[in-house]
Amino acid sequence: MSEQGPTEFKVAPPQKAAGMATYKRMLRQEIKRRAIEPEINFLNITAMMDMMTIILVFLLKTMSQSTASIPQSTDLTIPNSVLTTEASQEGLTVLISKSHIVVDDNVVCPLPADASHGVEARYKKSGPNDLEIVPLENAAHAWRERDRQFRAASGKDPSSSEAIIIADGSTPYRMLVEVLFTLGATEFAKFHLMVMQGAKP
Amino acid sequence: MAEETLSAAQRGKIRRLSQPRELAADEEGGELNIVPFLDIIMNVLMFVLATVAVTFTATIDSFPPKRGGRGGGPTTPTLGLTVIVVPEGFSVKAHGGSIAPGCHDTGSGITIPKTSNGFDYAGLKQCVATVKKESPEEVQGETSVTLSANPNIPYQIVISAIDAVRKDDQGNDLFPDVQFGVSR
Repeated sequence: MSEQGPTEFKVAPPQKAAGMATYKRMLRQEIKRRAIEPEINFLNITAMMDMMTIILVFLLKTMSQSTASIPQSTDLTIPNSVLTTEASQEGLTVLISKSHIVVDDNVVCPLPADASHGVEARYKKSGPNDLEIVPLENAAHAWRERDRQFRAASGKDPSSSEAIIIADGSTPYRMLVEVLFTLGATEFAKFHLMVMQGAKP
Repeated sequence: MAEETLSAAQRGKIRRLSQPRELAADEEGGELNIVPFLDIIMNVLMFVLATVAVTFTATIDSFPPKRGGRGGGPTTPTLGLTVIVVPEGFSVKAHGGSIAPGCHDTGSGITIPKTSNGFDYAGLKQCVATVKKESPEEVQGETSVTLSANPNIPYQIVISAIDAVRKDDQGNDLFPDVQFGVSR
């Protein structure tokens, strides 16, 4: 039996620290290895928002131009036409509905149920066969005076004005002519008859 | 040269320092989350577009109506096309005379009578195109037409008649300049 001496415990010699350059290199490598890729948590939609805002403004502007001044209802349904040109926006707006004549948002004259003889005789200058409607003439004359000054100041021809006629499709021809004749007598030389685009006769 | 080995202390320090730093609550995301806002805007936009009736309008230019009369005639030859809308159809006049039904000769009667489908706008278009074509060369360039109607003729029929005489089937101008007439 061999003699066994007392157990010897080996103590590891203290590990020598690596140099500073190695330590820093290893630190950099480790930081790089553990770095988390930045995650995209949301989309940057600022550019899309800018575009949408511009489109919205453009859309609203277009719609307001084409619809704002034409309140379609049972009292006023504009006739259809094959024309596809752009509507003129210049001039005094005269609206002939089934029940009233409206100038610049002011009701100037009521219409009878049967307007095939024009407005009632009491609104005319000299009896039922006359074509001039006095309340319309007064309203148009006041507007014409303002427009004359505006045209003179802005370098346009002040000798005549223009009017936009928005009339219901069932308006009798006599009624239309009375309105146009009255405006013609008040130095309105050009009329723009408002119609809806696209229909075939 | 042999690779230097790190001590345990150095390894521990490296492990600690290389931990990815967590963002503070106020550092997370540099922008507002406006996705819910966009959802609302899109819904509102769809609703607005669906409810607003988009109408496209146009304007027909015209001039003050003139009264019919026995004034002196024109000194130069003119076509003087006049279309009169009556309940029975269209009566067409040119060169001071009425055009007979059929649209080739002068004579009395309704030039374009009403059909079972109502006013014959295609017939009116064809007729005024024929009148223009068969007119003397010096008046073929004339583009004005006087349109008159019975007092009770609705505005829609007047507008459709204006449309009919404006252009021919090939898109060439016929009589785009309209003036309304007033019967005496």
